[in-house]
Amino acid sequence: MRILLQIIGILLLIPAVTLATLRIAKMDGDGPSILFPGGRLVAGDLHSGPEPDWSFTDKVPVIELQLEDPMASRRIFIMESGGKVYVPSGYMRSFLGRLWKDWAFQADAGDGLAVARIEGVRYERQLIRVLDGPELQGIAAKLADKYSGGATPEAIAAGVESVQNGDTWIFELAPRG
Amino acid sequence: MKTRNYLILCGVISISLVLGLLFVPAFSDLVEQVILLFLSTNAR
Repeated sequence: MRILLQIIGILLLIPAVTLATLRIAKMDGDGPSILFPGGRLVAGDLHSGPEPDWSFTDKVPVIELQLEDPMASRRIFIMESGGKVYVPSGYMRSFLGRLWKDWAFQADAGDGLAVARIEGVRYERQLIRVLDGPELQGIAAKLADKYSGGATPEAIAAGVESVQNGDTWIFELAPRG
Repeated sequence: MKTRNYLILCGVISISLVLGLLFVPAFSDLVEQVILLFLSTNAR
């Protein structure tokens, strides 16, 4: 019994130390790690001037997104559709998802001010949630094509349904103001 | 295992983990990808 409890103790210790170390190590750094949030995005030129042609993001698998309040950054997907760019947040109705994707709840509840770093360039943006509308088809198509193996009619329909039922949240990375 | 030895073992494991995660980027990246895979599979 004693040895069993000792083994259980070590099996609990390993993930606890791992999660705590990874969480603390990146929390103040310039940008996030693969999974854990990081600090303020500092490096990189700050874009100014007219909106760029966002189609270049088709070749960008993930970007870094930092909320202003609360200030933290993380890596997320990006989709271009109709000349605008969007970021998704999935698993929003599951228990783990609500813990994991806290940034989306914070963005939706707050002012949505954010900084996105894409290929080393920072863009000051505002996250505006997309709940429905004709643009959803194009966004779902890009999401399926880029991250789910192909934009089949079934995949697009599933993506639209996922947004409409609240399982996936979509935010437009809109210009500020 | 005696308590003293057990605590020493826990300390060694903890320190090794922390040093590996902080100073071996490939190890921390691998661990994060495993956790990400777990979340992607189970957060449904």
